[in-house]
Amino acid sequence: MATVEELNVKEKMQWCPGCGNFGLLTALKGAIAELGLKRHEVVIASGIGCSGKTPHYLGTYGFESLHGRPLPVASGIKLANTGLTVIAEGGDGDGYGIGAQHFVHIMRRNYDLTYIVHDNQLYGLTTGQASPTSLPGMKTKTTPWGVIETPFNPIAYAINGGATYVARGFAGDIPHLKDLIRGAIAHKGFALVDVFQPCVTFNYLNTYPWFQERVYKLEAAGHDPRDRDKAMEKALEDSRSGYKKLPIGLFYEEDRLTYEDQLPQLKDKPLVRHDISDIDISAAYEELE
Amino acid sequence: MVTGRSLAKCFTRGGLNVVAYPEYPSIIRGGHNTFQIVASDKPVHSPVRHSDIVVALNQDAVFYHKDFVSKGGAIIYDSKIDAKKFKPRKDILLFSLPIADLLAKAGATAKMANTVALGAALAVAGYPFDFVRGVLHDEFIRKGEEIVRENVSAAKAGYDYAMEGFRGFRNGIKPASDKRKILVGGNEAIALGAVKGGMKFFVAYPMTPASSILHYLFEHERKLDVVVKQTEDEIAAMNYVVGANFAGVRAMTGTSGGGFSLMVEAIGMAAESETPAVVTLVSRPGPGTSMPTWTEQAELRFAVHCAQGEFLRVVLAPGDVDECFELAWRAFNFADKYQIPVIMLSDKFLGESVFSTERFDESKVRIERGKIARDLPELAQNARFRRYALSADGVSPRPLPGEPNGMHVSSSYEHDETGFSSEDFSMRKAQADKRMAKMASLIKEIPGPALYGPKSADVTLVCWGSQKLPCLDALGLLQEGGVKANVLHFSYIYPVNVKEARKALAGCRKTVLVENNSTAQLGGLLKEYADAAFDFHLLKYDGRQFFPEEIAEEVGSLAAKKYKGKREIRVVDRDYEYYNTQRYGL
Repeated sequence: MATVEELNVKEKMQWCPGCGNFGLLTALKGAIAELGLKRHEVVIASGIGCSGKTPHYLGTYGFESLHGRPLPVASGIKLANTGLTVIAEGGDGDGYGIGAQHFVHIMRRNYDLTYIVHDNQLYGLTTGQASPTSLPGMKTKTTPWGVIETPFNPIAYAINGGATYVARGFAGDIPHLKDLIRGAIAHKGFALVDVFQPCVTFNYLNTYPWFQERVYKLEAAGHDPRDRDKAMEKALEDSRSGYKKLPIGLFYEEDRLTYEDQLPQLKDKPLVRHDISDIDISAAYEELE
Repeated sequence: MVTGRSLAKCFTRGGLNVVAYPEYPSIIRGGHNTFQIVASDKPVHSPVRHSDIVVALNQDAVFYHKDFVSKGGAIIYDSKIDAKKFKPRKDILLFSLPIADLLAKAGATAKMANTVALGAALAVAGYPFDFVRGVLHDEFIRKGEEIVRENVSAAKAGYDYAMEGFRGFRNGIKPASDKRKILVGGNEAIALGAVKGGMKFFVAYPMTPASSILHYLFEHERKLDVVVKQTEDEIAAMNYVVGANFAGVRAMTGTSGGGFSLMVEAIGMAAESETPAVVTLVSRPGPGTSMPTWTEQAELRFAVHCAQGEFLRVVLAPGDVDECFELAWRAFNFADKYQIPVIMLSDKFLGESVFSTERFDESKVRIERGKIARDLPELAQNARFRRYALSADGVSPRPLPGEPNGMHVSSSYEHDETGFSSEDFSMRKAQADKRMAKMASLIKEIPGPALYGPKSADVTLVCWGSQKLPCLDALGLLQEGGVKANVLHFSYIYPVNVKEARKALAGCRKTVLVENNSTAQLGGLLKEYADAAFDFHLLKYDGRQFFPEEIAEEVGSLAAKKYKGKREIRVVDRDYEYYNTQRYGL
């Protein structure tokens, strides 16, 4: 079983000092260690962006894919080997922008995997353009007069879209975030953990203090994550409060059969364990004769 | 389609050689749909222009096909059609079939009109009825005995009526033997070859004309014990394939040109991350949406060059259903052994046509997984497995997730030996060289072109992929016209085995390159790699494949002119264009 020390790697981090990704990475390692997972049985599939570097910074298996594609890559990995713990990592631009179609459909399928979104509300690696979650009025290189589009609300989409575990954490509160990630990995089904992850280099609006003034914990507020209507109400609180109150914690959880649990082909063992040395296709011939 | 395939099966079960070929326009319902069956006791490979028997279920069909019935041939048409409207041909037979009456007599529903016609066609062909019973039973038994009975009596009604009254057709056909054969489409053969080759996961987004791979595999997924997934788009499908192969499962996707366009980024990712991947590209005319239900071979260059950057890939283009099967299982071996993307390049014509053949030759099937690393020594503290270790043959050991001590990151970024992103110039060059170094062993596994027909000939038809089929049938026609020809066919497209290609081409006298596209793409590739040039280019890109008659006519006329004339010959089915109903005011 992996300890946090074992999960560490020698590679030099490429994130900016103070980046929210450090807190997120610490929480992720802590969750993996607390769950007692084996390092070789965990795969982190990432997209491209600052978030995409994550698999390089912990000693599990990893796949750094393309911009927007961690979810389909992770899906392929999971269906190939249901014995693995699969975690997809991406940013808000990656997952809610260029890869949004995968996000919409993976929730309907309810594969048993975890999706962690490093939501810094802009594009960091490409030096600060507006992203789908940039707040109205925010000035960036691509919105010099301020954002005029309505922000994408991942939590509301996920509750409505069929995700069976919907949570939001804050990289400035590592123990809380660790618990959310641990819960997401332990949850059987598709789990979203959207993470407020301040970009200290390009995002001058959504800073650590900005979040600290606004976030509050759903658990402390007595929220029942099994109540879908209440969960949706909480998800809409961001915009309704004029982004003054931002709930974090577990919004919603439900038990639903996973996609892979409904495939008889996967009942006995994962696909990767099927013997392919001499496949019998004679039944197919009989039908064609 | 179902009725046509049933009829084709009657001939297949009679031990005959059969080719069956559907044509349909890209509209949801209606339009002019045809299903041509060629059956012979001699080898046949391709549809032909002229039919001996035409079964016309509506007025348009009589109109469109009357000029394409062979002399002495017959049109069987539904009695409700007023055939007098058309200028009659003296050299063909016209048989009026009262389908509605026969259905009523047989106690069958209107849905079985096609089955009555099937019976009548068989009777005119002089073929015994016994086969129909078995074929219809096997086709409809899942719907119940009653449906089988109704279909058989509908077929019998048509058969008996025709036996009684339709006389004078001389070009009948008899069963040849009781040898069991299969009747299989190109897409199905690729699916089966892939399954035999250990494909456990197929993932795709529907796109004509590749969808029948998806349909076939979905229908049989439990019987064949594979997982099949329909995704939100082709981008997802290709990324699933890369993910599944990374996790150690042989996975494939299938699409046509438009979907392939969406996949190319992930194909490049497979190359950069050295993850095996297999894609079947069943092409149709392009660019854009173009003519979705028709055929073309215009994506050879696209397959060879797809995605940014430079990388090794294998492109295979099967020429018939047996090659579809064989190249499909081989594709997975190439992908695994060399950790590269492999593209199976087929087309609508081969993919959706069905052919009789024997059960596929499985004697050569080998599952070669290449360097999958197992039972690894313990990793040093906080270190990673050297997934991209530089090696002489360019292939590094690949541990699968779940393997202890194999932890690494596979990456679409350039990387060092452990997979960590690297922009070190020397490492970049070393990794790029490593990936290309695989060519040395790979090329030894790439056969040259195959020669069909006489070893020595006056003229050689050079072709690739599906156009092997009409070329082979053109040989006989050319021979009848006194032209000694053979066929040189490429099914291994890329990388080009230059030595073998040169050797084969050096043995040719006159060459005619036959391609189903407008720019002679194989010709360009062979010029580039083997400095090959062809005496003539015979090109067709009107939406149809070549017919053997066309090839024989053009090559025959070249022979008659002692091979003098324009180098580029472009053919079109001008008079055989019957899909534009408005043109004829029908």
